[in-house]
Amino acid sequence: MINIAISSQKGGVGKTTLSINLAHAFARAGLRTLLVDADPQGSVGLSLTRQSRLLSGFYDFLADPGIPMERLIVPTRLTTFSLVAAGQASDYDAGKGSSGSNLARVRAFIRNAAACRYDICLIDTAAGLFGVTNDIISSADAIIIPQQAEPLGVRSLPKLLEGLNRLRIINPRLTVLGVCLTMIQRDLAESAEAASALRLLLPEEMLFRTAIPREDVYIRASAKGLPVGALEEGKGAESLFDSLRAEVQARLARSLSTSTFHAH
Amino acid sequence: MDPINPWLDPLEVRHLAEQLLRPVPPARLAAADPGFAESFVGFTSPSEVAPGPIPTGAHQALRVSEPISAETTPSAPSPSRFLDRIEIFRDWLAKNFKATDIFILNSEGKVIFDESGRERLHLLARNFATASCRRGDVRVKIGPGAVLELIPCDSHQGRIVLGTLVSEALPPSHVLAITEVLIQTALPA
Repeated sequence: MINIAISSQKGGVGKTTLSINLAHAFARAGLRTLLVDADPQGSVGLSLTRQSRLLSGFYDFLADPGIPMERLIVPTRLTTFSLVAAGQASDYDAGKGSSGSNLARVRAFIRNAAACRYDICLIDTAAGLFGVTNDIISSADAIIIPQQAEPLGVRSLPKLLEGLNRLRIINPRLTVLGVCLTMIQRDLAESAEAASALRLLLPEEMLFRTAIPREDVYIRASAKGLPVGALEEGKGAESLFDSLRAEVQARLARSLSTSTFHAH
Repeated sequence: MDPINPWLDPLEVRHLAEQLLRPVPPARLAAADPGFAESFVGFTSPSEVAPGPIPTGAHQALRVSEPISAETTPSAPSPSRFLDRIEIFRDWLAKNFKATDIFILNSEGKVIFDESGRERLHLLARNFATASCRRGDVRVKIGPGAVLELIPCDSHQGRIVLGTLVSEALPPSHVLAITEVLIQTALPA
């Protein structure tokens, strides 16, 4: 199993939208996919399951690693796509505890997920590089960074890159799959300028060619508790995530030398 | 107004990004923390570790100096507090193996005893021992004459991990002896 953290320095950059729809794209491609909500806001669960406020989840496992995976995994209508919600542990808080305090349990969770024979596990983390998010990145095979195309988002970039360089000392095998531009508003000059600036600032191989625009269809999909591709009007957005999935697979195959992603 | 450039250094961003695309060279581990010298080599595999000559009667010596043995310290009752026993164990370890910076993590990776004050060592211990499925001790050379020895041990209190700095990787017989004494130390009084 390959596990990929989806993390950003700043909140509200479309991280959960990217996580849900990329996971859905992997599942539609036939890979057994587990999407884990490690954001205490519980956005994945709130987006996709009506019972998310009742489900045990990732933070419950951190509180009690004896909880079997079967109690955490929520199947979906797509047999290759499953979820783990954030959970009910009342004291969870991304900022609580220093980095490293949950490392062993995060790794135990990943081992348990791998034992359930998933091909890929996407972990939607809380924004910012601290606490549990650091422990997840320190345990991940790879990371994808959603980056909002707006000036404030770009200004947070050096802090994110510095943080990731530090975490790679703890986890040298962490592959940075790339930065995905999100929430692009082509009719807004500042957004377009920010996107251009990011393309100039970052090495070409660090940016995904696929960029995610800001569109109403994502809000409509979220309101209905569905990935965007499940909506009639979401087919264009779905094909965008198929492109992103193909890019991610190509980069994984290149960097991790795994056969998993050639087989599908 | 340029929304980007006044706020960040493009060269710095490019440098940081390019660094992320390259494999992590071991030397960066040394550069990142003054506790790690340039000779940091990561794991020392068991086959590379010269077991070294076991001093004649080493086991005996260990037993004789074992502080928690009722036979050798008949007049001193075993301390009832775990931390007191650990401190005696620490003294024994330091005396017999010239071990320094001794610390112990519990099964959750939390520090339950520490004389090192070096969080970096705890973090390495969590990564290499607590979070690893691997059994047995782990040693990491972190500088000239400095090896971080990590000895996981299934004790009465669950799996605990002893970490300590020694000048050379300990031979298996010494690791075994330390493990035995640590297990006894962790037993309830």
